[in-house]
Amino acid sequence: MTSVPTEALREFLLAFADDEHLMGQQHTEWIGVAPFLEEDLALASIGQDELGHAVMLYELVCELDGVEPTDEAIDALAYGRGANEYRSCRLVEFATVDWAEALARHWIYDMVEGRRWSFLEGSSYQPLADAAVRASREESYHRRHAEALIDGLLADPTAQQRLAAAFASLMPMIGGLCASGPWEAEIVEAGIASAPTAAIVPELSRFITERFGVVLPGGFMDKPDPQTKNDRTQRSEDFAPLMARMREVLDIDLTATW
Amino acid sequence: MATYEVFLKKDGKDEFRHAGALDAANDELALVMARESYIRRAEGNKVWVVNRENLIVGDDDFVGPNADKPHRHHDGSAVAARRKAIREDGNDAAIREDKS
Repeated sequence: MTSVPTEALREFLLAFADDEHLMGQQHTEWIGVAPFLEEDLALASIGQDELGHAVMLYELVCELDGVEPTDEAIDALAYGRGANEYRSCRLVEFATVDWAEALARHWIYDMVEGRRWSFLEGSSYQPLADAAVRASREESYHRRHAEALIDGLLADPTAQQRLAAAFASLMPMIGGLCASGPWEAEIVEAGIASAPTAAIVPELSRFITERFGVVLPGGFMDKPDPQTKNDRTQRSEDFAPLMARMREVLDIDLTATW
Repeated sequence: MATYEVFLKKDGKDEFRHAGALDAANDELALVMARESYIRRAEGNKVWVVNRENLIVGDDDFVGPNADKPHRHHDGSAVAARRKAIREDGNDAAIREDKS
């Protein structure tokens, strides 16, 4: 690699890290309230894996910033930025109304996440390539979990209807998850990623059609979500309450340890 | 939903051991759930899940008649008691004979 495009790389890492962080948080919020014990453990555990991925990526941001990647430094990135400094997409910020939406989102997110990591396995930026190898091992299991659960549910007519409805409500947010940020051209150019995130779209559309019998509307990437315009510098309305839940203890006592 | 029994085996010579049970909608989900319910801290290197319906189960009456056969318990207590009695009688020949 000739040179690292530092600004673009920082944005790129934050976009992935923030997605992983918020997705992990949303999954872990099902602990204790999922419909049955086994799934309660499974989804929260997958959420923990996603939080682990976020930590790996925040560590790389620390290194770019010339900051020692201590717990405090990672927390500062995870919890301490202003809303406009996050680079998450709307799908991971979205407050799902029920279990069906949570499962449909899990399926969509992990399908895309697995591809995102695979684009990084041969990264010219070695620390990212190393992180991708580790994350990909976990992702193959996450996808297996999502597939098995959805397969089981699609066999039941009521569950099928609920999943279809959940899918319809999430569909407008898929574009934002898959959209390549303006920084990605440089990232691909430098060999940091082998393809832009948007390269996932044809494959994802095919999977969704096969699985749910839903055809994504043509050009859905060009009809961005109205809240964020698929722009990762914009936050949706669900971001603030989500961050408030995550910061609940910090907001009471900044020095608290637990 | 079906109930599945989960067995784990660590690397090496340890045998598969029963870890617990779980409910799952099908075989694939049972395997996936076993991973989270019983192996999330790498408690084993290999896993079996068995649908409880596939177990061949003997009932209590089938097992019960063997509950009162202390002679099948090889704890050596009967032999030890006999040797102690001989030793206390000072009968060396009887002890040697017992050892042979």
